[in-house]
Amino acid sequence: MNCAAARLAIGAEPNATSPALEEHLLECGACARFRTEMRRLETSIGRALSEAPPAAARARAGARTWTGWALAASVLLALSTVLALWLLHPTDTLAHELTRHVEAEPDSWISREHLDARSINDALRSEGLALELTSERIVYAHSCFFRGHYVPHLVLQTAAGPATLIVLKHEQVGGRRTFREDGMQGVIVPAPTGGSYAVLTRGGDERAAQQLQHDVRWLPAAR
Amino acid sequence: MRNSQPETPVTSMGERPTRAEAGALTGVFESLRPDLLRFAHWLARDAALAEDIVQESLLRAWRSREALKDPGAARSWLLTIVRREHARVYERKRLELVPLDEIVDTHAGPRSRDPDGDVFALRHAIMKLPLEYREPLVLQVLGGFSTEEIARELELSSTAVLTRLFRARNKLRVMCGLAAAPDVAEGPA
Repeated sequence: MNCAAARLAIGAEPNATSPALEEHLLECGACARFRTEMRRLETSIGRALSEAPPAAARARAGARTWTGWALAASVLLALSTVLALWLLHPTDTLAHELTRHVEAEPDSWISREHLDARSINDALRSEGLALELTSERIVYAHSCFFRGHYVPHLVLQTAAGPATLIVLKHEQVGGRRTFREDGMQGVIVPAPTGGSYAVLTRGGDERAAQQLQHDVRWLPAAR
Repeated sequence: MRNSQPETPVTSMGERPTRAEAGALTGVFESLRPDLLRFAHWLARDAALAEDIVQESLLRAWRSREALKDPGAARSWLLTIVRREHARVYERKRLELVPLDEIVDTHAGPRSRDPDGDVFALRHAIMKLPLEYREPLVLQVLGGFSTEEIARELELSSTAVLTRLFRARNKLRVMCGLAAAPDVAEGPA
């Protein structure tokens, strides 16, 4: 076995072994060190993957029970209820789902990623908006699956603290709407030519949300 | 006893489980739900979507419950159904935007080296792995699937699976501040 084969075997299955691999490791200190590092990393990977999903999701999961065919009926009932709520109170439902989505990504508030503002703005331009921001202000950026679409989910630092921006190109709302739920407050702002965006903050201070809204600019030509 | 492939159509009403067996199966499903949810969450990277996937998977599993010959193999059987349900969702809802995650990958730097910091960083790093690397890693580490089982499930060669697992961990090494190992050639699919 050569070094390339040994590293492939170790990288793919750090805790596996074979006579040929052990023989190689006796002769190759670099590969032996690589295995030590990979086994240490593997322990951390196992710990990382074994952690439970965010609390909000677990709480909802724990509330369900499965009882045979009653399950199918309950799903149909739930779907009907959701549809009815959606039709009767579309913005309220949207606000609730936005809150749930942000709650399900608690790490986003404390993330410290180093992202390039120009790259983020390039990505947002395809959504029809631009942001006044610098790289050090961006602490979190992901494409998240929300209501059947992948949407940009950003957390930006403002002078008044972090604020979440979710761009909702596919969500039409009748007018600007504020909401409060589960210790968060938010605002959904319609775009002049369709679509909308939402800004959410935690705590009672609304200045972060206000500052972030000042930084958002729709790009009519791109829509 | 080997199970049929997940979602095999019911072919004989005479083989339907008894009421007691169905009750026991419901208990098995319920006990495995946290595992399935965690698995789906790592695949989908979205807690709400993971719940939808697990719910739909359990419905599919219940409909084809006669295919489960060995209750002891329920976990891997259900994990396979969850993975396929996730694949269906992924096929239906292709990325429509410029993927911000790729930007994050490009610009994210290494994090702190304390043990908890490593796990915190790894959670983020695993979430940012492209699906082609994240999926076999999660199947192996969380699902307990062998390389051959992963290869069958993903319709790849064993060599291709080994390569993807190697690359997944190699990316995680870099994200955790370790030097990248020299890359290996992609195995035939």
